[in-house]
Amino acid sequence: MFVVIAYDIEDDKRRNKVFKTLKNFGQWMQFSVFECNITKEQFFRLSRSLEKLIEPEHDSIRYYFLCETCVKKVIRVGGVRVRDESMFIV
Amino acid sequence: MATLYITEQGAIVRRVDERIIVEHEKEVLADIPIIKVDQVVLFGRVGLTTPVIETLLEQGIEVCFLNQWGRFLGRLQPVQGKNCLVRADQFRAAFDAGQATYLARQFVLGKLKNMLNMLMRARREGVSLPEEPFLEINQAIKALPRAENVDGVRGLEGAGSAAYFRVFGNLLKKEFQFYGRVRRPPTDPVNSLLSFAYTLLAKDIASAVNTVGLDPYTGFLHKDRYGRVSLALDIAEEFRPLVADAVVLSVINRGMVVQDDFEQELGGAVKLKDDARKRFLAAYEQKKQSEIRHPYFKYRATYRRCMELQARLLAKYLQGEVDKYLPLVTK
Repeated sequence: MFVVIAYDIEDDKRRNKVFKTLKNFGQWMQFSVFECNITKEQFFRLSRSLEKLIEPEHDSIRYYFLCETCVKKVIRVGGVRVRDESMFIV
Repeated sequence: MATLYITEQGAIVRRVDERIIVEHEKEVLADIPIIKVDQVVLFGRVGLTTPVIETLLEQGIEVCFLNQWGRFLGRLQPVQGKNCLVRADQFRAAFDAGQATYLARQFVLGKLKNMLNMLMRARREGVSLPEEPFLEINQAIKALPRAENVDGVRGLEGAGSAAYFRVFGNLLKKEFQFYGRVRRPPTDPVNSLLSFAYTLLAKDIASAVNTVGLDPYTGFLHKDRYGRVSLALDIAEEFRPLVADAVVLSVINRGMVVQDDFEQELGGAVKLKDDARKRFLAAYEQKKQSEIRHPYFKYRATYRRCMELQARLLAKYLQGEVDKYLPLVTK
């Protein structure tokens, strides 16, 4: 599944932890926005660990799920290039 | 899931959180979540830290070591499949002359049929080819059921392949020359690419074989030899024309690799230069992930998945759940 994750977090330390966790699952696209192409299990693992990190009174996280056809319709102008995840050659 | 190839000499691979970081002289070359990777392939002088090895093995990701020139050295294998019963059946079959001959015959049948189909397709596409190789390969295929032992099968395999490689050069549309298979070391560009592609194929099939729980070192067609992944080489036979030869042809014919991309080593070995090797790896990966309609299971699957399916089919045959091993043959 393809999830766009946006977050708003007051505290720098907490935000850093959220950022680091998200990097393990997807790609950082903009300030406070990640795109993750992950399995259901991976998503549950991710959301569980994020829940533990944040304080809902101060912070917020949004998950937007895109269906396969919607992913193809995404338009990106400028910014970070999308990582090719079919192979990694260094 | 993807393969991570690291060809940068002197690179260091580290783990940070749940990501793999590839560094070279303090510069980060790649930063990849481990969940995106299912195999790591290292060329030559690449360092791994213990934490990254630990995590890779924990996640069931295998690591293949090739030397700088692409020769296979060995692999770091995560905990082996727990299915020891299937391995016991495999060993029994390997020592049973009848079963070993049957399986050897099937692998070679797959290879020869795929070779034949490849030549026929080329001829339909307008390549002029003499009639003899078609006859010779057909003859070898017809003689297979009569081969009494593994040696007989090997003889037919040799005859069929020789006929195929005699005209393989005709399929090349660029200025490359090819007069026949030369190995250890390959002394011309086309042979060098073929050898490299076969190495890549063998490592992928060894990993598929391992996933299923079979022992990659005990083969039927290939004699057991210390450190040789004989079973992987057996199953690789049917995939050679389909995947490896096809990739070599396509990179040459589409001009993705040219004469200048090769250099001659001392001793006559010819090898790919670094940047061309990356392009070749990319082409190989793409081929592996291209989909075909599986002729027996009737659904679409990538070649990568087909390798695993063949290993599963073999395991089922060895355990007596099915009475035939059918090699993957595509038109």
